[in-house]
Amino acid sequence: MSTLFDKYAPLQARVDMMMKIGTDALGVKFDDILSATRGRIDNREILLAGTNNYLGLTFDPDCMAAAKKAVDDHGTGTTGSRVANGTYAEHTDLEHALAEHLSMPSCIVFTTGYQTNLAAIGGLAGDKDVIFMDADAHACIIDGTRLTNASTIRFRHNSPEDLDKRLKRLGPIDGGHPLVVIEGLYSMFGDIAPVDEFVDVTHRHGGYLYIDEAHSYGVFGPTGCGIAEDQGVLDKVDFISGTFSKSLASVGGFCASRHKEFEITRKVMRPYMFTASATPSNISAARAAVDKVKQGAHLRENLKARAEQLHRGLSELNFDLCADPSPVIAVRRPNEAVAAMEWNWLIENGVYVNLAVPPGTPQSSSLLRISLSAAHTKTEIDAIIGAFKGLGENQGEMMQSMAAKLQAAE
Amino acid sequence: MSQPTREQIYHKICELLKPYNPQNRSITLQSGIVSDLEVDSVAVFDLVMELEDHYDVSISMEQVSDIKTVGELVNCVKELLEG
Repeated sequence: MSTLFDKYAPLQARVDMMMKIGTDALGVKFDDILSATRGRIDNREILLAGTNNYLGLTFDPDCMAAAKKAVDDHGTGTTGSRVANGTYAEHTDLEHALAEHLSMPSCIVFTTGYQTNLAAIGGLAGDKDVIFMDADAHACIIDGTRLTNASTIRFRHNSPEDLDKRLKRLGPIDGGHPLVVIEGLYSMFGDIAPVDEFVDVTHRHGGYLYIDEAHSYGVFGPTGCGIAEDQGVLDKVDFISGTFSKSLASVGGFCASRHKEFEITRKVMRPYMFTASATPSNISAARAAVDKVKQGAHLRENLKARAEQLHRGLSELNFDLCADPSPVIAVRRPNEAVAAMEWNWLIENGVYVNLAVPPGTPQSSSLLRISLSAAHTKTEIDAIIGAFKGLGENQGEMMQSMAAKLQAAE
Repeated sequence: MSQPTREQIYHKICELLKPYNPQNRSITLQSGIVSDLEVDSVAVFDLVMELEDHYDVSISMEQVSDIKTVGELVNCVKELLEG
């Protein structure tokens, strides 16, 4: 008799294969997190190199104190959505702080980063509008387009020329507008969008440009506003979204706009209206982190230096890296089984990175993805490079071990 | 330029499917692109981008989501070309 879960049989086979090789890379459990760069599994200390904790603020004393004070002042949860009882003074204060930082008249705060793009894209694109989305866009952007009745056209990754071609091909949009959605720093390969060129193409066609700066807010630009600020076009971008769960060391997200009319979408965005608002402690930690971002040039400098150090080290070991140095450094592996085996070896040897596999990756690639932190020291980066060196030197042993594990599981 | 026939569109799709079909499974109009040929969801969209460029048509992601078989993709392109 068939069951509801039969459709997952091919996926279950992939997971089973991974479990035979080692542990589930997509279900790692840490017994403790000791600092922005150190965790513990059982009695082993693990060097964290895949946590997107770009500025290392999760243990910043001011951010921690702000979160603790919020619990003391307002309790643990809001028990309501933003449109019911879930808007506290702290939520609007954070919205004002982010709007001011980005020099935009409107900013809306959401409960998670995922919900931010879901809500904002869903709220912005109407039936007659057409969304143009970068081919490597994150799942939350894709899911955001699915909440709309707008048509969505994909264009080639990081190619303003291809966007231009597709906008021309579609021609004038009767009763609607193009909404172009890109990211600042792409989370899998760590490559950066030519935002300045996208601004030109989008506005030439009468469109609106939406940038997800989830992985770049706090990390790029003189004051940490992101890639658009870094490329000198922040004032020309129509919408900027971001998350609290990376540089801002919390959980939540935001979308800001240079159009004050963006405020009306509070009344239509379903993932904003029909979910509980972010907790007081999440909001207050993020608020403290915004100030750290603005004054964080020293953090960004260290992060940049560490990224260059790691990129250089891995290049010298002849690893195939997906992009130029950035806080995300992805090492391309030949296939999923090898990547999973190596991921296991790395964590057994004290280094946590991300295992990234299709369809979550561009070009059907299997990756060992590293994300760096301003809290990483030069010595810790050397340790990551050392681990990858060990990976190269122990391929034979690793293959034997994998074969033995697969045989034992038969 | 005369409009391509269904047959020509089918052959073009087979050609574009090649890199995503390393096991060289036989492709018919009834083949499920994801279910039979096991092309992953992102690769399907990449394939569609190639088709859009070859035939100079716009195929939205919503249209792609409704397409399950090679034959349905042929029909979609044909209908767009006949506009």
